[in-house]
Amino acid sequence: MSRFAKKNTTKFNPTATKKYQHGFSYPTDKYAFISNPGLSPEVVKELSKMKKEPEWMLDFRLKALDIYRQLPMPNWGGDLSQIEFEKYHYYLKPTDDQVSSWDDVPDEVKKTFEKIGIPEAERTTLAGVKTQYDSEVVYGSLKKTWEKEGVIFLSMDEGLAKYPDLVKEHFGKLIPSGDNKFAALNSSVWSGGSFVYVPKNVNVKMPLQTYFRINSSSAGQFERTLIIVDEGANIHYIEGCTAPNFSSSSLHSAVVEIFVRKGAKCQYTTVQNWYKNIYNLVTKRAYVEEDATMVWTDFNMGSKVTMKYPSCILAGRRARGETLSMALASSGQHQDTGAKMIHLAPDTSSSIISKSISKDGGRASYRGMVHVGPKAFNSKNTVVCDALLLDSKSRSDTYPMDKIFNSQVEVQHEASVSKIGEDQLFYLMSRGISEENAKKMVVNGFVADLIRKLPLEYAVEMNRLIDYEMEGSIG
Amino acid sequence: MVSKIIAMQIITVTNQNQKEIVITQPDHYQIDLVDPGVEVNISGKFLVTGKQEVNLEVIIHHKAAHTKAQTNFKGVVDDQGYLRILGRIIIDKNCPDTNSFLEERILLLSDQARAETIPDLEIKSDDVKCSHAAAISHINHQQLFYLQSRGIALKQAQNLIVDGFLEN
Repeated sequence: MSRFAKKNTTKFNPTATKKYQHGFSYPTDKYAFISNPGLSPEVVKELSKMKKEPEWMLDFRLKALDIYRQLPMPNWGGDLSQIEFEKYHYYLKPTDDQVSSWDDVPDEVKKTFEKIGIPEAERTTLAGVKTQYDSEVVYGSLKKTWEKEGVIFLSMDEGLAKYPDLVKEHFGKLIPSGDNKFAALNSSVWSGGSFVYVPKNVNVKMPLQTYFRINSSSAGQFERTLIIVDEGANIHYIEGCTAPNFSSSSLHSAVVEIFVRKGAKCQYTTVQNWYKNIYNLVTKRAYVEEDATMVWTDFNMGSKVTMKYPSCILAGRRARGETLSMALASSGQHQDTGAKMIHLAPDTSSSIISKSISKDGGRASYRGMVHVGPKAFNSKNTVVCDALLLDSKSRSDTYPMDKIFNSQVEVQHEASVSKIGEDQLFYLMSRGISEENAKKMVVNGFVADLIRKLPLEYAVEMNRLIDYEMEGSIG
Repeated sequence: MVSKIIAMQIITVTNQNQKEIVITQPDHYQIDLVDPGVEVNISGKFLVTGKQEVNLEVIIHHKAAHTKAQTNFKGVVDDQGYLRILGRIIIDKNCPDTNSFLEERILLLSDQARAETIPDLEIKSDDVKCSHAAAISHINHQQLFYLQSRGIALKQAQNLIVDGFLEN
């Protein structure tokens, strides 16, 4: 259908772009295990055997593999025709076991995360940390205070071993393997990711963070995250992503399932800064019960193609969903991001705020859906998409969809696309500010209300990243 | 997947012809703005009742610089009607100083009425001002109460509000 325009993006040229600060990598010869390139039932069986998984999980994986092989590639969104599935390593195990003391982490892994600044952040601002290196979580910690309250923060593999019933009850229930091709792929070869459980009425005041790092080339990272926030509890979960600057592409395909019980609140923040040859194809969904709130804050700066539409299923009365999404598309990048809000119960409300910046031939698309079911009386929804185009090579699209099945609703959608105003630049420059700084100020102001929603340390980092991307953008 | 072959009505806007397009029949339209500097107003009003299903698709394609388009669609859906409005603004490369606005407003009168709005934007130039707005809502109870308290019957009050909605 003509609804989906031609899939052309500019070519990414690694030499022409500035140095990517997380582009370093370490050799993989000390890895405990690397699967041969390509995907087969044998790879899945071997992986499951190495992880000593229960029978039902192996069945689940093999069924998902079947589904994956049958499902077609999506014929919309980003250009995925360049992905060479048979070249990826689907399972890379860097160390034998996860450790809980930073001293036991292998040197090279330690150096990587020290460069990124994880240990320091852990001491000062975080309640708990997990670090995933290629396919496995290599290090994890949780502050004593929260452990005492009964908070569980484990890697998904540990979670499956220690709480099999809780996992079995929720795993794959929100995003079944047949949901889409990449959810099926993840379901068959998932490894790592987080398992979080927050008991009733526990308010975890500091964020939990997982840090994802791809270290080897042609790697496939398929983390699987399950978060259960019990009644009246509150949690903020943050994930960060980086990868080395290899010339061959890597594939990152995650599945995130979140259950927000009655009166609970969950905020899930993503700071995605992959190197610009990573395919980032992610499925994220939250099930929101009565009086509960789910907030997705989604920052996409890196990757070659990102397709990600965090969703909220508002299933209980007065449930609330919020998505704040920011995308920056530079040369060779296509950020196809957005949100889905599914209203099933009365008095539910949701809002989506999306801001995108396209520059140097990048393409940023907003793709979203608002669905208000026949029983969702008195539901409200607002969608605001603002796009900033910095030059004539770049492109910006908005593909929203509102589906309304009852009359007691208020649904609004607004979108605008513009460039940086000459008058704005003139005003700033007449005050003695250089053109480059003036542009940075306008861009930072454009995304300011989203960045304000982040914890302070991340807000500062985010502004710095945007400034870094904007550097030298004046011809 | 088999895609339906849809006959598209193409309307070309040049320097010579119409500045005002009123769409009365729901169908598939493509409106091309081909000459630099042309301005066009596009509008349409639809009433859907009974078990009618109405589908309107309009593509506003800016193919030249300095073009302006203002598009307003309004729909009222009653009974078990279904109204779908797809509006898309496309701005080609090298079309600076383009201005386009698309508005889709739908009023639902019954609980079984359904509506879908899809306002798309595809922008390939940078010097543009382009925005769209879509809203789906029901009749405000306070407005109804006000009119009824003045002795106007419910059905008549509804009609007054619908008239007002379609007019401005």
